[in-house]
Amino acid sequence: MLHVPMWFTMFLLMGIGFVASIRQLSASQSELHDLRAEASVQVGMAFGILGLITGSLWARFTWGAWWVDDPQLNGAMVTVLVYAGYLILRATVDNKRLKARLSAVYNLFAFVILIILLMVLPRFTESLHPGKGGNPGFNSYDLDSSLRMVFYPAVIGWMLLGIWMYRVRLAAAALNQKLQQL
Amino acid sequence: MTLNVLQYLLQISPLEGFFFGSGKAMVVTGVALIILIGMGLWLFAMEKRIARMNEHVDELLNSQTLKKK
Repeated sequence: MLHVPMWFTMFLLMGIGFVASIRQLSASQSELHDLRAEASVQVGMAFGILGLITGSLWARFTWGAWWVDDPQLNGAMVTVLVYAGYLILRATVDNKRLKARLSAVYNLFAFVILIILLMVLPRFTESLHPGKGGNPGFNSYDLDSSLRMVFYPAVIGWMLLGIWMYRVRLAAAALNQKLQQL
Repeated sequence: MTLNVLQYLLQISPLEGFFFGSGKAMVVTGVALIILIGMGLWLFAMEKRIARMNEHVDELLNSQTLKKK
């Protein structure tokens, strides 16, 4: 009950980042929204990487290989790399206002790519991954009913932990900004 | 409670039987729990520390503003 909740948590955090980026680009242009977007992507990336690692372990056990050429797996890797690009972009721009605007625009596209690569594309192609290849996930074939009583609490628990980590990261970033004012 | 759930799963599904067969599932669960509890404690401590530092920085910023006035 680690692999799927990791991705759910990443989706949630990237969604928070997406909303923050929209608000950043809207009239308010508060620095807080930029910090929110950055913190959510940073924590979301951690969950994405853990999702890849746990998925690879699972693939080794189920399919006999650490990695297979599958649209879902490749899409997940590309998504994580796209978000790594977001963090690299932030690190390369010095001007605060420009950094906030550029990274907000990039984040909007990154979230759209995440949706397309992880939720849309694998359903239209042949895939070994459960819940993909045309069939909706979480049906009786993919997830035994007895596992649901562990699965759903695990999803909620990891999401809460992810939000907690995001809040701590955001608080640290806000504090860092205050310290720069001193 | 975790043990009860795991034992229940062991009874109803052969897949869990495979995982428990080697006797390592409990160790994995134990290690995962220790990591999770450790992470929770670390986050809690970090949250407290950041809040304390935030208060301190606010005091410093206020005193700087007062000096300027």
